[in-house]
Amino acid sequence: MATSDETDDRVGQAYRRRIRTKIRTATRRSRRAARPVWDRVRFARQDLTAATPALPRVAYLFIAPFFLLFSVFLAFPVFYTLYLSFFEYQGVGQGSLFWIDLGPVYIEIPQIAQLNFVGLGNYARLLGNDLFWQSMFNTSYILVIQVPLMIGLALALALALNASFMRFKGVFRTAIALPVSANLVAYSTVFLLLFNEQLGFLNYVLAGVGLGPVPWLTDGFWARNTIIAAVTWRWTGYNMIILLAGLQTIPQQLYEAAEIDGANRWEKFRYVTLPQLKPVFLFVVVLSTIGTFKLFAEPYVITGGGPTNSTITIVQYIYRQAFVNFNLGYASALTVVFVAVVSVFSVIQIKIGGED
Amino acid sequence: MREQRRKDAVWRFLTYAFVITMVVVMMVPLYWMLVAATLPQEQFLQFPPRLLPGTAFLDNFAALQERLDFVRTIRNSVLIAVVYTLLSLVLCSMAGFAFAKYEFKFKEPIFYAILATLVLPIQLLVIPLFLLMAQLDWTNTFRAIILPWAANPIGIFLMRQNMKSIPDALLESARMDGATEFQIFYRIALPTMRSSLAALAIILFLFQWDLFLYPLVILETADMYTIPVGLAQLTGFQRIYYDQIMVAATLAIVPMVVLFLVLQKQFVSGILAGSLKE
Amino acid sequence: MSGINITELDKVYDSGTEKVVAVEDLSIEINHGEFLVLVGPSGCGKSTTLRCLAGLEDVTTGSIQFGDEDVTDHRASERDVAMVFQNYALYPHMTVRSNIGFGLKLSTKLTGDEIEQQVEDVAEMLGISELLNEKPKALSGGQQQRVALGRAIVREPSVFLMDEPLSNLDAKLRSDMRTELQELQADLDVTTVYVTHDQTEAMAMGDRIAVMDGGVLQQVGPPEEVYRSPVNQFVADFIGSPSINLLSADVEGETLRGPGGFTYEIDDTEPVAGHDRVRVGIRPEDITVVDSGQNTADVTVVEPMGNENFLYMEMDGHELTARVDPAIRPAEETQVSFDFREAALYLFDAKTGDALKTKTDTVDPAVVGTTED
Repeated sequence: MATSDETDDRVGQAYRRRIRTKIRTATRRSRRAARPVWDRVRFARQDLTAATPALPRVAYLFIAPFFLLFSVFLAFPVFYTLYLSFFEYQGVGQGSLFWIDLGPVYIEIPQIAQLNFVGLGNYARLLGNDLFWQSMFNTSYILVIQVPLMIGLALALALALNASFMRFKGVFRTAIALPVSANLVAYSTVFLLLFNEQLGFLNYVLAGVGLGPVPWLTDGFWARNTIIAAVTWRWTGYNMIILLAGLQTIPQQLYEAAEIDGANRWEKFRYVTLPQLKPVFLFVVVLSTIGTFKLFAEPYVITGGGPTNSTITIVQYIYRQAFVNFNLGYASALTVVFVAVVSVFSVIQIKIGGED
Repeated sequence: MREQRRKDAVWRFLTYAFVITMVVVMMVPLYWMLVAATLPQEQFLQFPPRLLPGTAFLDNFAALQERLDFVRTIRNSVLIAVVYTLLSLVLCSMAGFAFAKYEFKFKEPIFYAILATLVLPIQLLVIPLFLLMAQLDWTNTFRAIILPWAANPIGIFLMRQNMKSIPDALLESARMDGATEFQIFYRIALPTMRSSLAALAIILFLFQWDLFLYPLVILETADMYTIPVGLAQLTGFQRIYYDQIMVAATLAIVPMVVLFLVLQKQFVSGILAGSLKE
Repeated sequence: MSGINITELDKVYDSGTEKVVAVEDLSIEINHGEFLVLVGPSGCGKSTTLRCLAGLEDVTTGSIQFGDEDVTDHRASERDVAMVFQNYALYPHMTVRSNIGFGLKLSTKLTGDEIEQQVEDVAEMLGISELLNEKPKALSGGQQQRVALGRAIVREPSVFLMDEPLSNLDAKLRSDMRTELQELQADLDVTTVYVTHDQTEAMAMGDRIAVMDGGVLQQVGPPEEVYRSPVNQFVADFIGSPSINLLSADVEGETLRGPGGFTYEIDDTEPVAGHDRVRVGIRPEDITVVDSGQNTADVTVVEPMGNENFLYMEMDGHELTARVDPAIRPAEETQVSFDFREAALYLFDAKTGDALKTKTDTVDPAVVGTTED
């Protein structure tokens, strides 16, 4: 293809020559030809449109379907949870509406929620409950180690894959991100076996280099680390992909300018990459933090919260209160506190990250 | 100069070593799952563990199929996830379009109220949602699984962010061409949003694919089970058939891998637009 | 076919907390087939006016008539107007063919074949037939510009609206397209309202230009009239490149006394009657460098343009620009004397900026015709 300027010029001249003869030949009234079906459909639709009065509040129509579902299935349950948190759920007297028994999973929902108003009683109760604090500690522990570890790894991988000399980027990227495809329960089961103390692959490898066996699932400290490893395994690649995409939007000139200014590898990272990556980085950090706060299925399947509650997370604790002990009111109060904590955390992160 | 080149070479080596190590770490559990799926239970549960695949995959699969119709389970999961994803894409993009391109009363409060539900752990809505579904007599139905999060806060957030980048002139141009507001949405705005829609499709599909506790509570009969529920059920017998679980896990990974490979590129560009602004 | 009649148009943006007046009490009559350019600095209300004409913005008060029809409350699609946007606003996912045909498809009763035929005719007319199956991304700026034009032309509207359509093109292409646009508009004989911030473009293209500032129409008239007889200091300053030289001077009888020892004797004192202080305006091309005279200035920079030289001078901190013959090239940092004819002098009220006196010299086509940069 010729360069655009040449083309424009040539086209322009041709056009000027032609214009004087061609003017208005474009005007052609509709010939009485047979009109195909799709034209008739089009005309019918146009007539319909013309007949419909302009809707002044069209924006509300666009959000209405979303908002309807949102109100019924998200907003209502949220408010109901808030409401429940001030009541005590009374006994199982009326029989069960529903129960399900799947061995480790036993769920029963009583038919009529007989509620007894207790004010802030549920909130007072949770503050004095050891298991609540234990689960808060476990969640915090996992969070404090897992999120930085995962994001550090994800960032390092993204930087490595973004390096100019790196080859097979696509292959590496896909391979590292593949774990996210694994089903939550499926991969948790795989980890359960991998980390098995007697038969697991991991202890086999460790034994090979003269270590172990490590009580991955039977010791509180190690069990928490097992959970951390599992979550990190699954989500590192996902975050890497987002960070990598963020890296690729940083203009090359910035690096060239830094190089001319004599910046070394670290300084380029510190003064170019980090500031430029900040919005994407913040996005990843906030979503990861929320995600880890909400941890449930991994400890549920891998450790069951054990040994002796050393891996029980806050969500798992709430689940137990709600569906094993049927303390629906108390569980709701826990939920409210939990959501408040997560929200405050997210806002703080966004505030800190969003500065300057 | 020479010194510098040697340093660069070392750096390169370390970078490759790191990446390859991570690839191996990521692959081991998947590989091991595959191996386990191809071995009879007895061989699998011996020490030292077997490292090479066996030939018992089909036998394991047959055994699995006999105990729980896992093909049907996968089909249920795919069906639910696909319908959910499509429905949610429509709702989120319509609402996102309105939030990005129209001015209306209470726009900001409504948007932030929706966004605030992002922090809600879905497991915790299970209590009121179950009571609600029981009232509606919707337990053990797919619609009870599909509808609640079709109004997805992440979805509306991403779509709003991306739709904001559509130039107003494009929409006005269509308005001058005689397009109605709804035509502007589906003939102009939606087609320019392809990569964002793909990104959102992955996120939504993954979200639904991972739902565990909620379907566990809602779905009562084996013919309705989704993959996570089915898998959990496999662990629920007195004797745990790891070989069958591994077959199921292996099969369960396939649809997600396919979706991911197909939409990977768009996923990247689409999700990026969401994080770049604000 | 129709002219346009804008009557007492007001446009106020009300965000609830504060009101912003974008256009105030605007009345213009635009003749059928006329090429009117709305020009002014950014935020002057020219684009808002255009958008009101297009039907993209609601009018707060006032009315808009196309021909005999009041279209104030009509939807954009019912006004029989076509608009070319600054960034062309081509639909990125559609081919050039679909882009041009989109409007016909949505709002006419032409059959698919007829639409196809018209699209091809227009494409041939604009010389973009080969591009019909391309997507906008594959086109150069000039080609995109043509597609945008084609999209407007194909609908055979009674009014063309153009919002800075040339501002994204490089300089050479821009001046080529200017000519083309004018020819096209003249040939199609469609009333056109064209918005630009570039006074050169306005002067070059408009049958008449309408200068706006702060939401208020300052002056409408043929380019030459606006240039030679601006109604106020703002119009004088905005139109013309390089800008008019402006300085404040005290009136002492027949003498104007300005900064840096600037003095000028005027023969006709009538315009300054009753004024102690006025603003004096001199177009750069009216300044002549003389061997000796009562006014002097220090030359700071000389820009040789080839066919003429721009002298940038300073008079006690006041900048002064002159356009002179290329032969005149004083060294920088030297002092020169300058003079000008009274007929070329502009005088403005020091407080209101209203014109007291404008050019009275005879038109020298060689001067007026070279205002392009």
